[in-house]
This record gives sequence, C-alpha cells and structure tokens, in this order.
Amino acid sequence: MKILIIEDEREIAQSIKDYFKTNGIQCETAENYDLALTKIESYDYDCILLDLMLPDGDGFDILKELKAKNKTEGVIIISAKENLETRLEGFNLGADDYLTKPFHLAELLVRMQALIRRKNFKGSNTVIFNEIVVEVFSKTVLVNDIKLDLTKKELDLLLFLIGNENKVLSKSAIAEHLSGDMADMLDNHDFIYAHIKNLKKKLTQAGSGDYIKTVYGLGYKWENEQ
Amino acid sequence: MVWDTNGKMSNKKLLLKTTNSFLIYAVVILLIAAPVFYYICQWLYIYETDEVLLFHKGAFEQESHSNYKVSDIAAWNKYNHNVTIVPDMGVSKDSIVGEMIFEAIANEKEPFRILYAPVEINGKKYTYIEKRNLVEMEGMVISVAFMFLFIIIILLTGIFWISRKSAAQIWKPFYNTLRQIEEFEIDKNSTPEFTATDIDEFDRLNKSLERLIEKNTVIYKSQREFVENAAHELQTPLALFQTKIDTLQQLELTREQSELVGSLNRDVSRLNRLNKNLLLLSKIDNETYLEKETIVLNESIHKHLDFFIEQAQARNIKINTHFNTVMKTKGNTALTEVLLNNLFLNAIRHNIKNGVIDVIIENNSLKFVNTGQETPLGAQSIFNRFSKVNPTSQGNGLGLAIIKKICEINHWAIRYSFTDNLHIFEVIF
Repeated sequence: MKILIIEDEREIAQSIKDYFKTNGIQCETAENYDLALTKIESYDYDCILLDLMLPDGDGFDILKELKAKNKTEGVIIISAKENLETRLEGFNLGADDYLTKPFHLAELLVRMQALIRRKNFKGSNTVIFNEIVVEVFSKTVLVNDIKLDLTKKELDLLLFLIGNENKVLSKSAIAEHLSGDMADMLDNHDFIYAHIKNLKKKLTQAGSGDYIKTVYGLGYKWENEQ
Repeated sequence: MVWDTNGKMSNKKLLLKTTNSFLIYAVVILLIAAPVFYYICQWLYIYETDEVLLFHKGAFEQESHSNYKVSDIAAWNKYNHNVTIVPDMGVSKDSIVGEMIFEAIANEKEPFRILYAPVEINGKKYTYIEKRNLVEMEGMVISVAFMFLFIIIILLTGIFWISRKSAAQIWKPFYNTLRQIEEFEIDKNSTPEFTATDIDEFDRLNKSLERLIEKNTVIYKSQREFVENAAHELQTPLALFQTKIDTLQQLELTREQSELVGSLNRDVSRLNRLNKNLLLLSKIDNETYLEKETIVLNESIHKHLDFFIEQAQARNIKINTHFNTVMKTKGNTALTEVLLNNLFLNAIRHNIKNGVIDVIIENNSLKFVNTGQETPLGAQSIFNRFSKVNPTSQGNGLGLAIIKKICEINHWAIRYSFTDNLHIFEVIF
C-alpha cells in the first residue's frame, strides 16, 4: 500500500511515515505544492493525506487538480483549520475525510484504512484478524464463524484496536476515537475501561484469543499472541 | 423633536435645566411684580385723587371770595352731592382721609377719599368737605394689573419658548453625538458617523470621540485577532507534540517511562481542549455564528445525552431528565449544542462521587441542578474567563465563560443559584 503525505511540516510527515511503516504502508512525502503536483502526476497512490496550508499553494487547488485529472485517490485532509466552511469545501472538492490537527496517529491510521477499504472493496468491507471477522457495512462480528453480539462502541473499539495492531494506544486516543464529534468535550478518559473490559470478556468467551494487552500507565495494545 | 437619553428618572435633561432657571426667574419676577405693581397703581390713583380734591377746593375758594353769600351755602349743599360746606368743625389745615362710606345706590360700603379743609366765606369760618369714590379706581387698577400680567406672561413665554427652541437647535449636534455613542458597541462592526457642526466645541467633541473610537476599535480588533491567531498558531506545535508522543509510546518503555508518557498524553489533550475553547470563544466574538434557527431543546439535549450519561457513569453520577414541556427557541444550532455540552460537562466535572444531575425543562427555562461542593460558588466571578473554583480540576476555566457568551449572543439569560446544597444553572429563554 502506498500513500502520499502532502505536509509542509516535515516532522509531522516523518512521524506519520514512521508510524505507518510498521503496518506495511509505504509513505512518500511532498512538502510543497509543486512537488505534490509532480508526484500526483507521476504515480498512483492508494491514499493522499493533504494539509491545506502549504507554503506555495492552497491544498484545495490540489483537490481541484485531482478532479481535473480524473484521479481516484482517496484524500484525507489534515488541517489546523477548523470550521464548517473549510470542511464543507473540502468535501465538495472531493475529499473523503477531514481530520483537524492535532490528531492521534492511531486515528489517522484507522481512518485511512477505512477509506482504502471503502475504495478497494466495493460492496464487501471486511476486516479479518485470525479467527475474528468483522463485516463493517453490516456491523457483524464473527469469531470462528459464530456471531458475536457487540454494542456499537465495542465494535468501534474492536476496529480501532485491530487497525492499530501492535501499536500502543493511549487512553486519550481511544477515548477520542470512541467519542467522535464529542471528543473535545472529554476531560476524563476513564470511561473506556468499561468498554475494554466488556469487549475483552465477549471475545474470550466466544473463544477468541486474548489480544488486548494493558500497557501500564499508558493504555492498551492489540497484539497477536505468540 | 423629542430627544430620548435613556437617563435615570432623577437625571434632568440639559434643555430642561437651562429653561428651568429661566422659568423660576420668571415666576419670581411675576410674584413680586404683581403686588408691587398693584400697590403702586393704587398709590398713584390715590395721589391723583387727592390732587383733584385739593384743586377743587382751590377753585371753590377763588369763587367763594367774590360772590358767595351765607344763604348760598344751603343751596350749594343741596345740589352738590360730593361737596358739603359745614360750619367750622375745628379743622385748622387741609387733611385728606380714606374712609368706607355706605353708598345707597350700590347698597354697600365703598371706599372714599375725603378732604376736610378750612374755608372763609364772607369772613366766617366754614369747613369744606369733599369726598371722591374710589370704586372706579379699584376696577381700573385691577384691570391694569391684569393687562400688565398678561403682557408679562406673553413676553416670558415668548422668551422661554424662543430660548428653548434655539437651545434645542444649538444642542442638536450634541444630542446627535450622544445618541450615536449610546448605540455604539465596540464588538459590532458599525462605527458612529457624526454629523458636521459649525459649533467649535461640538466639532472638537466629535473629532476626539472619533479618534477615541477608532483607536479602541483597532486595539480591540487586534486583540481579538491575536487570540485567534495565537490559538491557530498553537495547533501546529500541538500536532507535533501529539504525533511525537504517539511515536514515543511505541518504543520499549519501562513502567516509569510509560507512566510519564501517559501523563504527557493527558497534558497534551488538556492543552488541546484549552486551545479549542479559545478558538471557539474568539469565533463567537467574531460572530461566525450568526444564523439562527428554531431549536427544539428537548431534541438537542437527547442528541448527546447518551454520551454524557456514559461520562457521568464513569464517576457514578446519575443524570435524570425532567422535560415538562417541549421547548422551542430561536438560536444558533451549533452554539446551542456547545452550550448544552458545556452545561453537562460542568455538572459532571464539579460533581461528587455518587452525585446526581437533574436536567429540567419548564416554563421557558432550562435548569441543570447538580450535587457538588457544599458551598455556593462566587456568583459574580464564575462566568469570567479563567476563573476556576477548584484549581486542581481538569477544567480550563473557559466552560462557563463560553456558556455566558453563547447566552449573550442568543439573548438568553443565565443564572446561578445554590439551594439545599444543590448548584443550579438556569438558562432562561
């Protein structure tokens, strides 16, 4: 899987690159408008991460360019701008998702995975991890072909954990992911403990492996059992 | 033209004040002048009457020297109603007295002036008595006094009216300026435009006000922009901070290091929240949220109720809703949502373990009643930015400031009260 990160802040681009590398995602970076255009013209990507404020141009123009060239890459806007108008304009110009800075790398990763899944597998949208099969569209979870009854939050949590396989997820990253639009309102991340506990219980009861590890003081990690 | 200054009842208007002293002066003059004038007129009339009496007597003396006989006196007395010649009463010199005498024709007592004078007819002493009725004088004096009063009143009202008119004209630019200043609000985008005036003082007043407003508006704007820019600029380093922590926590960390990174995570998300709230406040200040729609409050509350119930449960707090009516109001949807979220968050954050939050909708008001600390909050300062009741709390001191701001923008009232150990925040629509 290959993606393009269009971001003038080199260190952010590098962090994304490092984080994604271990999940088998190859990242290219472009730190300005011109370079971004050249790369878009020369290669095809699975996904583009786009910062709106570039030193030599406007991120929206890249969206227009993509449209004009009939490019079908999924685009996630990552921007410090946070207002409804920019968000709407982004979506109108063909962006698929919008993430405001600052964000958790884990959040960016699952959003990108979801976007690529939507783009690549039309109709069937499945996440498979060993004996666990998640049908994202129909919101069903099968463990060894037996249907598991999960709440919406638990399903969200499961996808977030699997998507960030082998990554340590902070409580705040999980809490913000589960809260969606209300993430800014959170000042206490303890509520995720109950969800983690319930999910863990349901999975192990259904005969799945115990993949959720607690990282002391930090959060949780989805790890394939050795 | 009626100028409305919205002043307090006890404050007098400028024009009234200047004309008032005029009015008082006029009344005093009238009150003093009327009796003085009356008495002067009366005195003059009496003086004239006395002159006439003495003149008549002089004429009688001249005539009586030549051809009056004693027998004529009886005839004289018979035909003269006002003048009587009587034998000497012992009057040695002319004397005039005022007396009330019964007048048969009018059938009442009337005022008279009576002259008693010694005269000699054919070498024999007599007393000359002449009386003059003063009734005519009374009528005349009164009518003259009234005429005088009438003229004075016309004169004074004229002066009063004209001065008032011209004062209104002169002060017009002042009132114009005053009205504009009253309507001026620094956070709105309209600057007052003063009308040109040829009065130097008012022109100076207008010019200095213009300068003052211009300067302050610039300062206000740059301050507002500063908050917004600062918050925006902070987002990039915050993003760097966040992504680096995310990267850091993937490393093999000791227990101690993990704990540190975990607390860094909490700090950065707190910083992030603070920054977002600052951005929100400056956006509200810049009136990004102007559109108003009809909002059904019950539905708005239900929208995120589950989220807050879950947040509350994490601290063993129970949320009860009591919706007695379906409340509809006009307001900005996004801001109303922020308002409700902040009210919920506030009630959860400052609650106690096993506490309760009651959300009540009734009679045009929305109440959040919650358990919490056992002393009331300082009602004055709690709505100020960065006023924190509990310095160790996770809040950033902006929640209530945002609540107040949103209420202001939508013209709602927010009230805090503390009864029966319960904190009550009430929004009145």
